[in-house]
Amino acid sequence: MMKNQFKYAILLLLSSLVFISSCSEDDKDEEKPTITVDYTDGFPQACQELQRGSTYTFKASTSDNLGLASYSIDIHNNFDHHTHDDQEEVCEMSPDKDAINPFIYLDNFSISESPTDYELSEDITIPTDIDTGDYHCSISIIDVTGWQSQTTIDIKIID
Amino acid sequence: MKKTNLHKNKNIIRNILINRFAFTMLFIFIVCGVKAQVESNVFGKIYDKNSLEPLSYAEVSLNNKHTITNEEGFFLIEHVLSGKYELSINLLGYEAYVKTVIVEDKDVELNIPLTLSTQSISEVEVHENLLEHFHEEDVIVSKEITKEYLTENRENSLMQTLKKVPGLNAMSIGSGQSKPIIRGLGFNRISVVQNGVKHGGQEWGRDHGLEIDQYNINEVKIIKGAGSLLYGSDAIGGVIDIQPNTIQKVNSFSGDVNLLAETNNNLFGVSAGVQARKQKWFYGARFTYRDYADYKVPTDQINYDSYIFYLDDNNLRNTAGREVDGAFNFGVITEKYKNETSISNVNSKGGFFANAHGLEVRTSQIDYDSSNRDIDLPYYTVNHFKILNNTTINKKKHNIHVNLGYQNNYREEFSEPSAHGYMPKPSSSQERLFNKNIITANFDDHIKFDKHELTIGLSNEFQQNKIGGWGFLIPEYQRYTVGAFAYDKYKLTKKLYFLAGLRYDYGILHTEEYNDWFSTPVENSLGVTEDVFEQRSVDKVYQFNNYSGSIGIGYTKKTMDYKLNISKSFRMPLANELAADGVNYHMFRFEKGNSELDAEQAFQLDVEIRHEQERFNFILSPFITYFTNYIYLNPTSNFYESLQVFEYTQRKVLRAGGEVSLGIEVFKNMHFTNSFEYVLSRQLNGDKKGFTIPFSPPLSNVFTLDYTINTKGVVSNPKFIIDYRITAKQNDVVPPEEYTDGYQLVNFSFLVGIDVFKKKPPLELRFKINNLLNTKYYDHTSYYRLVDVPEPGINFSTSMTIKF
Repeated sequence: MMKNQFKYAILLLLSSLVFISSCSEDDKDEEKPTITVDYTDGFPQACQELQRGSTYTFKASTSDNLGLASYSIDIHNNFDHHTHDDQEEVCEMSPDKDAINPFIYLDNFSISESPTDYELSEDITIPTDIDTGDYHCSISIIDVTGWQSQTTIDIKIID
Repeated sequence: MKKTNLHKNKNIIRNILINRFAFTMLFIFIVCGVKAQVESNVFGKIYDKNSLEPLSYAEVSLNNKHTITNEEGFFLIEHVLSGKYELSINLLGYEAYVKTVIVEDKDVELNIPLTLSTQSISEVEVHENLLEHFHEEDVIVSKEITKEYLTENRENSLMQTLKKVPGLNAMSIGSGQSKPIIRGLGFNRISVVQNGVKHGGQEWGRDHGLEIDQYNINEVKIIKGAGSLLYGSDAIGGVIDIQPNTIQKVNSFSGDVNLLAETNNNLFGVSAGVQARKQKWFYGARFTYRDYADYKVPTDQINYDSYIFYLDDNNLRNTAGREVDGAFNFGVITEKYKNETSISNVNSKGGFFANAHGLEVRTSQIDYDSSNRDIDLPYYTVNHFKILNNTTINKKKHNIHVNLGYQNNYREEFSEPSAHGYMPKPSSSQERLFNKNIITANFDDHIKFDKHELTIGLSNEFQQNKIGGWGFLIPEYQRYTVGAFAYDKYKLTKKLYFLAGLRYDYGILHTEEYNDWFSTPVENSLGVTEDVFEQRSVDKVYQFNNYSGSIGIGYTKKTMDYKLNISKSFRMPLANELAADGVNYHMFRFEKGNSELDAEQAFQLDVEIRHEQERFNFILSPFITYFTNYIYLNPTSNFYESLQVFEYTQRKVLRAGGEVSLGIEVFKNMHFTNSFEYVLSRQLNGDKKGFTIPFSPPLSNVFTLDYTINTKGVVSNPKFIIDYRITAKQNDVVPPEEYTDGYQLVNFSFLVGIDVFKKKPPLELRFKINNLLNTKYYDHTSYYRLVDVPEPGINFSTSMTIKF
């Protein structure tokens, strides 16, 4: 008697395993979005020099299999040269220095209607009173599922 | 010498018996009249197997009749009808004795020697699966790991040592630290218990390792699956229950020194311990020291997130560490009473891989490659101080435990300060400080009557967590939990038994307010930008209460053993799950707590089918778990400043899987074992519906072949062990995890005893080669997996144990 009940329990366990593995394999988004500035209109390009007081249109091309949701732009100083970017080109760095009034730009934007291809475009003005020198520009993109991709570009802010 | 005494006693007892017998017979004839069945007496003496000393206060049970031996070690059970009985003898410090006794209308005399528990353990022949005790009456699916298993499989940390046990995984942090994962659940879903008191560190942290000296452990009991009934909140995913030290022989003194050296991380380790016992008093002490350099990985470059780091001579920069542990225990043991106090301190310091710590890629001015042994920034230090006091009282049908504990966990993490976002460069390298105090008071009483074994218990725990440093992850909090439980084991027949239990827990959590130490420009409702010290955690009180329970059935038939258990478990949400609202610099993301979270609840069905024969055994242990609200840190599609927002949410989650282990004695002294594990998890609702949960271990199978040559003389019993692990690719992931390729791994060990000193235990030598083929592989659950760091390469280790 007992033995049979155990048999049923095992059968139940095995069938539930098959059930949960089969019923949920449908259209699971496993693809990360892509992001790049490495095309003619992309901005900033690796090692680009930006002038204080000027306004630039930052552009990056993004894509995803399902839909894009939001992006962020982060500009922070690299005066201590803590990180290299992920672009092919190697930029010439200014000497290390301490930050006094570094430029900090942090903002994020949502993308409406979840397109699969999107070119982000954002006007950013470089203030006149901030420290010049080596900076990083990181642009991140998140898709509707929550996958994130990022690209980082070494830039320089000059007078 | 003893014989005359024995005879005298026997005569006294006989006289008593004859009188009683006559009286009983008279009673039966008068009262029952028709019932002419003969009653017999079962009597005898219980003595120590080695010293032949009589043992008093031993509990003697003949089915549902119980008695206790007198000062001379004698017992008497009267009015026993003819039939087949199970005689069991239990005495603190001795191996339990169980025997089938047949009573046929005459008195039965039994003189039974008992073996000290320490001796019997060392006499047990050890083979991975064959060693398992046939603890048939325990309905909860558990596995016991002996000291010998720990010694034979010893790795650099406790969880790495236990990794071969099917269903268990280690989340390794470098080469010297690890935390437990049971069936894919880890962190605060696993309770680690030592001497009946829950170990308390910063379990929720990914870089937290267990602060327990693995040399100071004798036996571990592992509960795979829900353990809330007995262990309370946090045991929802399983329990690593480290058993109290075994009791020594009367008037004994023993000790051991273990030396260890390894090539991969140039480790040197020493652990020395002593134990002694007079009649009633006993004590023990242990000291462990380990020092290791950066570990080597079979690659000369790490590619992470389109960055490339070149390694110097395969050394994973700045992963060196050291550990100093000390422990002292003392106590008193009598026939009915045992009290033991254990004081231990574990202190360790270790470096983190310098290039990609906390997922931020950094270059540094520190010359990491100048030495492999130094520990530069970033690194952690942790000190865990623990005092435990355990009391056991045996009183007739009662077996009472009182377990008290005080713990202090002081953990600091240091890294090179750097500006991030609106946070300016901090002035100190102390990124985080956690200072946690825990006071525990647990009580339980096992009461035996008739066919029942009722256990009632009460547990209390108070936690206080203080924080410091410039990084914020978890707020300061105080937490008090109290739980009361009762469960009953009911033996219906010899083969069939039930367990049912219920528990109620209440918890109160107070989180403290935390504001950033730096200001952030925030636009207010009037459209004016103000500099604000943003609030990351609020001053709030949370209350939780929950019922948990378990119903189980067990059935034994010849060589087969079946168990089925249905349980409901729970876990109280943590302070960070409820109240975190800040940048996790460690993971480079913004984590948002959810004050609406309920206590996490899970229903689990566990089955175990066990077959045990002399030369063949197998264990099949499937399970299915349903979480009504699995608390999950969900990566959203939104940003905070420029960081992705991860939000604590609760999801319905279904999990199923199990383990299969198989043991065959191929021929004399050669054993083959196979341990297979698999787990599958699915989120059933929410925006990650269809996805798994984080850190799902991949399908894995370990084949082990061992061979012992029985020899006497100088070289004694050499043993060869070869492990072959096959792990499948893990492509069942959830953002932000990556796929992890499958791998095959070979480990080899050689153990031998050298009889150098006559009349002394042999010198135990062990040679081990880990990752024999220097395979480059990734462990899906390893701390460094996210930064694409492979697991350690080939490692030769040599250890020597001298016992005295």
